[in-house]
Amino acid sequence: MTELIELSDKTITMDRNEYLKVKGSIDTNIYYVESGSLRVFVLDDYEEQTIRFGYKENLIVSLDAFLTNKPSVFFIQAIKKTVLKVITKQQFDIFLQTEANRVLWTKILENLILQQLEREIDILTNSPKERYQRVLKRSPQLFQEIPNRHIANYLRMSAETLSRLKKS
Amino acid sequence: MHKILNNMQSENLIQSLIEQSRQIINQVEKLKTNDLHFLTWRENPTAWCILECLEHLNLYGDFYLPQIENSIKNSKTKNEIEFKSGLLGNYFAKSMLPKAQLNKMKTFKDKNPLNANLGKTVIDKFIHQQIKLIDLLTQSRKVSLNKVKIQTSISSFIKIKLGDTFQFIINHNIRHLKQIESIQANRKNA
Repeated sequence: MTELIELSDKTITMDRNEYLKVKGSIDTNIYYVESGSLRVFVLDDYEEQTIRFGYKENLIVSLDAFLTNKPSVFFIQAIKKTVLKVITKQQFDIFLQTEANRVLWTKILENLILQQLEREIDILTNSPKERYQRVLKRSPQLFQEIPNRHIANYLRMSAETLSRLKKS
Repeated sequence: MHKILNNMQSENLIQSLIEQSRQIINQVEKLKTNDLHFLTWRENPTAWCILECLEHLNLYGDFYLPQIENSIKNSKTKNEIEFKSGLLGNYFAKSMLPKAQLNKMKTFKDKNPLNANLGKTVIDKFIHQQIKLIDLLTQSRKVSLNKVKIQTSISSFIKIKLGDTFQFIINHNIRHLKQIESIQANRKNA
């Protein structure tokens, strides 16, 4: 991972609630979160639906735009003051010219597919309690880093339901 | 960045306007940390305070956004690679951009929020409108920025191209955000 972060020659700082990216833009950068946290969401009929979070030491990227160079539907917003390192696609393409780096990238993508499968099961799980327990088990740190209302949205339940489940 | 070309690729125009809207949202988001006292401070009795600048933009949004939404929805046009700014639309859009020394402009009576007794919800409304505007910009990829025409607030008989309307609205936003910056600077020196 350090090799990847070292590619960056640009750091950006965002205040709480600022948008890193909005719907419709073609943002092909990879961002490494040095500090702070962000959420990725889509607007479904003007209702926000959070689909992913990024916090300290995570990579965050609009993978659709990154892979296709086409406009992405995602919004990415800072949840609190956040410092990011920017890796451009051009920098990354040079990085990928080395065999060892391609192996690393494949590992990252494989890992991502596994995470997406877990997430797919989350969403298809009927019981709110089970959805909560799955995510708690998988990412306990999430509950330290991210405010409840955003986690509740991610889990597709009300903030009240989440706080009840946390107590039980 | 604010240079307006008369001929450009529709996609480039949309990308650039989405990016400008993102920056506008971020700039206004920062205003939320100020208290009401600061947000309603005015340099003199006829000058606008920060919230009035935003409400003025909201009034324009109320006029244009629903119309744009309907026009896109009902349009049977196809998207076109090139956008060519119209004579009038280009003039309107350009005239909105602030000069180095902010030039005074006449405000239409129905768009003047002076002393309207505003609260912080004005900021939320403004940001909500910008999210809507970004959504409409993405929707506009499916239609012709040249052939879809939008009625201006001056007269329903004066219509300008959808592409020019977007530029006009965003330049108008930029103009009043500059005004907000100068209010903040004056407040500090007051």
